[in-house]
Amino acid sequence: MKILATAKKVVDVELTIRVDGGAIVEDGLQYVINAWDENAVEASVQLKENNGAQTTLVSIGGTDNTDMIRKCYAMGIDDGIHIDDPALEKADSFVFANVLQKVYENGEYDLVITGKQAQDTDSGQTGIILAENLGIACVSNVISIDVIDDANIKVSRLGDAGTEILEVALPAVVTVSDSINEPRLPAMRGIMMAKKKKIQTMDLAGLGTSYEDVGGSALKSEVAEYMESETRQAGQKFEGDAAEITAKVVDLLANEAKVL
Amino acid sequence: MSPIFMSLLLIVGLAIFGRTMYYKIQLLMALEPADRFNNIQGRLKNLIVIAIGQKRLVGRKKEWASGIMHAFIFWGFCVLIIRSLNLYGEGFVTGFELPLLGQSSILGYLYIALKDIMELIVLLMVIYAIYRRAVVKPERLHNTWEAYFVLGMIGVLMISDLVYDGARFNLITTYGNPDHLHFFNNSQYGSEFIWTPVSVMAGKLVSGMSFEGTKTLIPFMFWVHIITQLTFLNFLPLGKHFHVITSLPNVFLKSLDYPHEKTKVLDLEDESVWEDESLGINHIHQLNWKQGLDLYTCTECGRCKEVCPTYTTDKPLNLKDFNDTLKAELYDNAERIITRKQMAATLTDDEEKNEEIKAKMLELNSEKSLIGEVIEEDTLWACTTCRACEQVCPVTIEHVPRIMAMRQGQTLMAEAYPKELNVALKGLERNGNPWGIGYDKRADWAEGLNVKTMAEDSNVDYLLWVGCAGSFDDRTKKVSEALVKILQKADISFAILGKEEKCTGDFARRVGNEMMYQMMAEENIGTLNNYNVKKIITACPHCLNTLKHEYPQMGGNYEVIHHAEFIDQLVNSGKIILNKSLEGTLTYHDPCYLGRYNSVYDQPRSILNAISKDGLKELDRNGQESFCCGAGGGRMWMEETIGKRINIERSEEIINKQADNVAVGCPFCLTMIEDGMKELEKDEQIKTQDIAELVANNMA
Repeated sequence: MKILATAKKVVDVELTIRVDGGAIVEDGLQYVINAWDENAVEASVQLKENNGAQTTLVSIGGTDNTDMIRKCYAMGIDDGIHIDDPALEKADSFVFANVLQKVYENGEYDLVITGKQAQDTDSGQTGIILAENLGIACVSNVISIDVIDDANIKVSRLGDAGTEILEVALPAVVTVSDSINEPRLPAMRGIMMAKKKKIQTMDLAGLGTSYEDVGGSALKSEVAEYMESETRQAGQKFEGDAAEITAKVVDLLANEAKVL
Repeated sequence: MSPIFMSLLLIVGLAIFGRTMYYKIQLLMALEPADRFNNIQGRLKNLIVIAIGQKRLVGRKKEWASGIMHAFIFWGFCVLIIRSLNLYGEGFVTGFELPLLGQSSILGYLYIALKDIMELIVLLMVIYAIYRRAVVKPERLHNTWEAYFVLGMIGVLMISDLVYDGARFNLITTYGNPDHLHFFNNSQYGSEFIWTPVSVMAGKLVSGMSFEGTKTLIPFMFWVHIITQLTFLNFLPLGKHFHVITSLPNVFLKSLDYPHEKTKVLDLEDESVWEDESLGINHIHQLNWKQGLDLYTCTECGRCKEVCPTYTTDKPLNLKDFNDTLKAELYDNAERIITRKQMAATLTDDEEKNEEIKAKMLELNSEKSLIGEVIEEDTLWACTTCRACEQVCPVTIEHVPRIMAMRQGQTLMAEAYPKELNVALKGLERNGNPWGIGYDKRADWAEGLNVKTMAEDSNVDYLLWVGCAGSFDDRTKKVSEALVKILQKADISFAILGKEEKCTGDFARRVGNEMMYQMMAEENIGTLNNYNVKKIITACPHCLNTLKHEYPQMGGNYEVIHHAEFIDQLVNSGKIILNKSLEGTLTYHDPCYLGRYNSVYDQPRSILNAISKDGLKELDRNGQESFCCGAGGGRMWMEETIGKRINIERSEEIINKQADNVAVGCPFCLTMIEDGMKELEKDEQIKTQDIAELVANNMA
């Protein structure tokens, strides 16, 4: 079984993200692998370990993505493809899905595993659009993957009514939830060995397409402006006599919060 | 007596002994190298104080009686070794005298008097030892036939020599010395027997024997003594009594690094170490020869387990058994280890040939994997690295470096470390702290406190190293605030690194993740050297230990001081004036990395005594034998699922002291003790505070 996993590099959400003039202030920010994609990589590596799958990782982004790809190698991924084209800087989910489609078509994969969404945009669309483009099955929010045979898998997903168990014919796309697994840390030995391992790096031309072909010239959506998220105000704590506190709280709710 | 018989006994006895020792030494030499021949002066000092002075036996208040017992047996042996030479000589030449110790010198007389009394003392000590084993039965001791057998042999040695001399006395004085036996008889110092009252007493005990009987008794006792002694010598290397031979060298060769052998800075860039699987310890042959000698020397006294916070709370780590198991594994693999070493010596520049040799060497690795098959994983990961075991070990066995090297093997090579550590390790990698909170929030605690960062002004006297807990943990942030208040009050020029500071890597190193440690250390040393930092104050003993003792290995050399030491200096110089205003009973919990790792015991006590109205009340386990909170060695980031929780055990001890306040000097201890109090529902009654908080609240 050949698996294609995807990994997006996203801003470390532990950091305070500041916006200035509608744009994100890049200074002081650092970037990490999207947490859900880390689950996708882990799921792929587990299928490699348990079912002998062959794993390829694809990542779209700038030069600094190579560090992330190497860490995925150290987690157990076999091959890495890095699509590095400056034209893709403003791309949306549709464009990314189109690029991934090209990668998919070049490699004859049986299963694509992506994170169900990315921590930066939270769109949750790329994997689904990719499946739509390819005309293959797609299961989202997946929490377990089992191989039935070479042509079929059994997956569980979290649906509205609870856990749904589905049998899916391959090829297919699954987008995984973070409850599917606990991603391992990159193996130390893997980190050292991954330094020498080759990454196939290419631009869109190298992939056999162009920015126009993947829909770049007619983006379906564009970020117009970023706004800083509001930080929650610290709450108030009341201590002391119960009767006094009650009176005070009622007063505040009535006169300050004006909810009573 | 009989030169032929004597020669025969000596040849057989010494040949067997020599063969045993040759084999033992050969095995040690096949282990990994360790440099233990530097600083001879320092080594001699250890030898005199710890080994010959029996410091850890007689110096331990809790067990003074058995300490004195052992010390006298040991000192007795030292005295009697000369006597043995004398007796060997007697075996060949009747009336043999050692140079300077003959009857013509007062030294000779003093020696026989000393030997005489020592034999009695050793005999009494042996009787006490047997009584203690058989009747008192201390929990830490493991009763074996071997122990009784050896005690019995020592008893026989003493009795045979005393009776030998006693029978000589009888023959010489009662029967008029018809055989012209040699004895000291100098006109100035008189007869030998005036100097040897114990032997004379022994003579009295056998005085009922006939002339013929007495005459036979002398050679009989002589040969019993000699044969027992040679049997004893050959018996020693076979079991735990090998320490009689190895403990002096073991103490002499102990690491002089502080406080124990430092973890090596592994060269992780070297590809061959990954291919040869030579990082850390995963196989018994990877012990260094001194660690092998430690195993030979373990006396199975059980002090290590008795003070161990994990053993005493029912975790599977029992250091005595740990040593025993490793020793058995070492002996089981002796042939393989020696052959492997011989093969390693044939490695050349010829890469192709080397591949072949290396493959064969790999086959000679011990069959069992050291962790998992020989030592249980839970056993290895239980250790809090508190060093209580090392502090009490009479023969200075270094348990902790060995455990850390095994953890390195597990983490680096086998990827078999507790996966629950991943969250903290990932936090370290991404944001330089085990909580994984954004690194940009590291200095948020200092907002509004008027604290400069080095980036703003590096022209300061001290760097205040805040540490991860002091920066991110809500409770410990209050300690940082209190410390800032004190420093500002004393008008100290200082700054913090703010978001440029990262975890020192202490916890990563203790769990064997040398890669992460080196990453943290390199970045921090780069930052510190960039600001030309010379002096560092820190409220975290783990940071203190790493900055002070481990960063120099990687080019970071700073004068590092714990805040308790610094505050003590401020008090002594009058910059801080303490009020004796703290109400209620105050006690102090020594943090392991402040006490046992950095010998800071007095300064916290001096501060606390100055602020407490009633004075400091010590816990039962304090100072060098303080009891760990349970969070060291990376345990802070692991669940404690086996046995009783260590922090509960310690909190109960504090509660039993009827303390109202407990002072700590470490953020981990603060968390652990406070959590313990909460769980025992005593947090309302007993306040857990850092020294800095107590000082800030009780200064003028």
